[in-house]
Amino acid sequence: MAGGSDAAETTSLSCVRCGKPAHLQCPKCMELKLPREGAAFCTQDCFKASWTSHKSVHLKAKLSAPGTGENSSLVSEGWRYCIKKGQARTPKLPHFDWTGTLRPYPISSKLTVPAYIELPDWALDGTPKVEPNSDLQHVVEIKTPDQIERMRETCRIAREVLDAAARMIRPGVTTDEIDRVVHEATITAGSDLSNAVIEDTPLLSIIISSQSLAARRSVNEVICHGIPDSRKLEDGDIVNIDVTVYYKGVHGDLNETYFVGNADEASRQLVQCTYECLEKAISIVFGSKFDISIPIFLISVKPGVRFREIGEVINRHATMSGFSVVKSYCGHGIGELFHCAPNIPHYSRNKAVGVMKVGQTFTIEPMINAGIPWTSREVVVAVSWSSGTSMVCGMQLACRTLMSTAGWDRLGCVLTLFSVVGLEDVVEAEHQSKVAGFVWFGSSAYASGHGPWVWFVVAGLPQLNLSDCNSLLFFSQHLKSIQFIVGVWRDRMWPDGWTAVTADGKRSAQFEHTLLVTETGVEVLTARLPSSPKVRSVNAKSKMDFGPLLTLAVEFVKINLFVMGAQ
Amino acid sequence: MEDEEEDPPLAVRIDETTHEFSNSHENDDVSVGVTVITGFLGAGKSTLVNYILNGKHGKRIAVILNEFGEEIGVERAMINEGEGGALVEEWVELANGCICCTVKHSLVQALEQLVQRKERLDHILLETTGLANPAPLASVLWLDDQLESAVRLDSIITVVDAKNLLFQIDKYRHLSSYPEAIHQIAFADVVILNKVDLVSPERSGDSLDELEKEIHEINSLAHVIRSVRCQVDLSEVLNCRAYDATHVTRLEGLLEEHQYKSSQNLHDNNVRTLSICEPLAVNLDKVRLWLEEILWDKKDGMDVYRCKGVLSVKHSDQLHTLQAVREIYEIVPARKWRTEEKQMNKIVFIGHHLNQDILQDSLRTCTLATT
Repeated sequence: MAGGSDAAETTSLSCVRCGKPAHLQCPKCMELKLPREGAAFCTQDCFKASWTSHKSVHLKAKLSAPGTGENSSLVSEGWRYCIKKGQARTPKLPHFDWTGTLRPYPISSKLTVPAYIELPDWALDGTPKVEPNSDLQHVVEIKTPDQIERMRETCRIAREVLDAAARMIRPGVTTDEIDRVVHEATITAGSDLSNAVIEDTPLLSIIISSQSLAARRSVNEVICHGIPDSRKLEDGDIVNIDVTVYYKGVHGDLNETYFVGNADEASRQLVQCTYECLEKAISIVFGSKFDISIPIFLISVKPGVRFREIGEVINRHATMSGFSVVKSYCGHGIGELFHCAPNIPHYSRNKAVGVMKVGQTFTIEPMINAGIPWTSREVVVAVSWSSGTSMVCGMQLACRTLMSTAGWDRLGCVLTLFSVVGLEDVVEAEHQSKVAGFVWFGSSAYASGHGPWVWFVVAGLPQLNLSDCNSLLFFSQHLKSIQFIVGVWRDRMWPDGWTAVTADGKRSAQFEHTLLVTETGVEVLTARLPSSPKVRSVNAKSKMDFGPLLTLAVEFVKINLFVMGAQ
Repeated sequence: MEDEEEDPPLAVRIDETTHEFSNSHENDDVSVGVTVITGFLGAGKSTLVNYILNGKHGKRIAVILNEFGEEIGVERAMINEGEGGALVEEWVELANGCICCTVKHSLVQALEQLVQRKERLDHILLETTGLANPAPLASVLWLDDQLESAVRLDSIITVVDAKNLLFQIDKYRHLSSYPEAIHQIAFADVVILNKVDLVSPERSGDSLDELEKEIHEINSLAHVIRSVRCQVDLSEVLNCRAYDATHVTRLEGLLEEHQYKSSQNLHDNNVRTLSICEPLAVNLDKVRLWLEEILWDKKDGMDVYRCKGVLSVKHSDQLHTLQAVREIYEIVPARKWRTEEKQMNKIVFIGHHLNQDILQDSLRTCTLATT
């Protein structure tokens, strides 16, 4: 662990050809923004030797870029690229500095809706008319029993429509085809449920946002609001389908992330964590110290809980699992209006107004990105050392050194465990850190190839930059280097004006439910039905896998901080 | 396919790519302050704006002129660029009526885009129409720190016409409804008392003092600046950081002065200021509940417009600041209490139907040990 393995510990990437630790990467891959795992080499010689086979990676990336034969035939049939929030189309792919490998594909023309179906006011151009000026943007509506009944029905329909879409998912299917299925399913549901007594049959399916997230070797980036297009789903993709249904004057909104074919481990972890974030937000369990990801579905969200708390729960769980929370989009009140009060951010320390009351309906829809969060006020610093038994002492030393050298007066600490370390070590670590005067945020578990990692969450810190790190290095002979994990919660917008993607091109997953607050707690209006397909998304009762998790996330590591041997 | 060479290019060291991340975060370090400028028709808003834009201060400032309201979906922006401060006109497009669930209002997004497009922008002025109540704008612009937005709400400045103010205040005193002019003073962080030269000279000293007193009766937190033709010292007007939780200094000064100064005539229907004080340390959870009851549930019919204060919290050595605009509030640890300071709670409320006794007593209950 000492001296010699220095170089190795600056990166967790291995040479594509020989498996030794890698320090070089292919510049062509960098240019094409291909993932580093496939572009890493230990020496120029290894790179040269594998060049013949390696360059096919570039070729594949270029071929899957649009403008190739497949798309031009579609364009000639009238399929176009979407721009200006769906109000315009263009035959050529818009210019943009794409954050990852995913590109928009041409979309089909707008599907028609039978005349007898009642449309919400925003269906025509995506712009709501009544909504923005409504009082319901400021006051959370308490639904009447009638409204609640209608919402139950609508949400159930939404669930059935989503399930219909889910059954379609497999490699080779385009998201446009899934969109058609959703469209048909919703209209059918509306007709079947048409009541002979009522003249109109108000039902409409809207905005199926299919977000295609290619996992595995390519980057998967779309956070939300992707537009169904002619791209075929590939094995290894993860896709989120978001369905909103308008029926009998009320909306129902839900989404789930599914795997296409076989997804890799990192994607599974991301999707699992996202699902758990939603679960935990719904079942806010207070006082839980060790979020070692055993989902506890105790329905204890009840009247009186602050909306602000939801963001705290989601943020804590995502951060502990090594992921970051998208901040630009939030959960929202729902009912006769699609989006109304309350606004429910998914990040911590938000100023959301209000507490939950019986009869309120709203959505919670966390979007979680792969990668560790870092903001200018919180720096996550990774520390690792050699053995489990000296872990606690090593951590104390690291904390004290960091605090005194950087002049920080507050330091939070998230401790990660090796699978060999027992819970009693966590208890001890927590105790020690509290004795030393630190703020203990909680613990999370994973293992990487280079020893246990400790994540420090430092709160209330002015800008920490590289020169601070260097001074820390000089100070203590125990510290070898400092590692900053850079934040990836930021999002960017595609030229179509709708699709939000991660700024760094990494994967993103989402789950959403529409909820009703009841006397005893909460009713999940869009819950899975017995008839829901057993898709290989997530098992609600599964535990977090303690395997070699998040090694991909560690690629953000820049410098390493090690505590040597401890006391 | 023809591009691929026979020989591989030179591989690049992996750790060199750190720079892209550090660069992207550098820009976020300094957010641009947004000042909302409000004031009754004819008070001198435009004069102030022009004075700031044309001044030789070396700052690059953008002014958003809210002329069209929300229908058209664009705002006109004037930015002073170049050495001579020549004005450049730009259009800022608002993303109107988006049905997605975004956290940031379209105005904020538009401002962020403006900041990104410009190489350097030191400040943004948002000039509102004369009849606007600044509260909704403040709620939209007062973003969570977590969002690390390129813009932040710096202050609300209200320009008032010294010559007509007394008349306006007198007129409304007996009415049951509140003209927007009063709201604008109530929400202001800075009040520019303009046209002081037009106030009759023989009584000018008294009159102006009386005017300031009237303004402080409504809002004791506002910093009043007297001016002629809005020629003010820019350092008092820009970079106020009125919504920066950690910017405690001015807050402390204000709280010091108005320690026990509450408005007279507490029982009339007008917008008033009052301050309460509590020497014992408070329980943070209880204070949150207490504040939420007041702000969200309108406890005892009290309607709070703004609230600012300093809290002494149990089991903490940190001075906490409290800030609220309508229902949105924030309590944040700001800095350590200094040894020479007397730790106590001081809170100023601005609103109507406020009841000093109820507020004082209910805050007292927050000091008790947990039941």
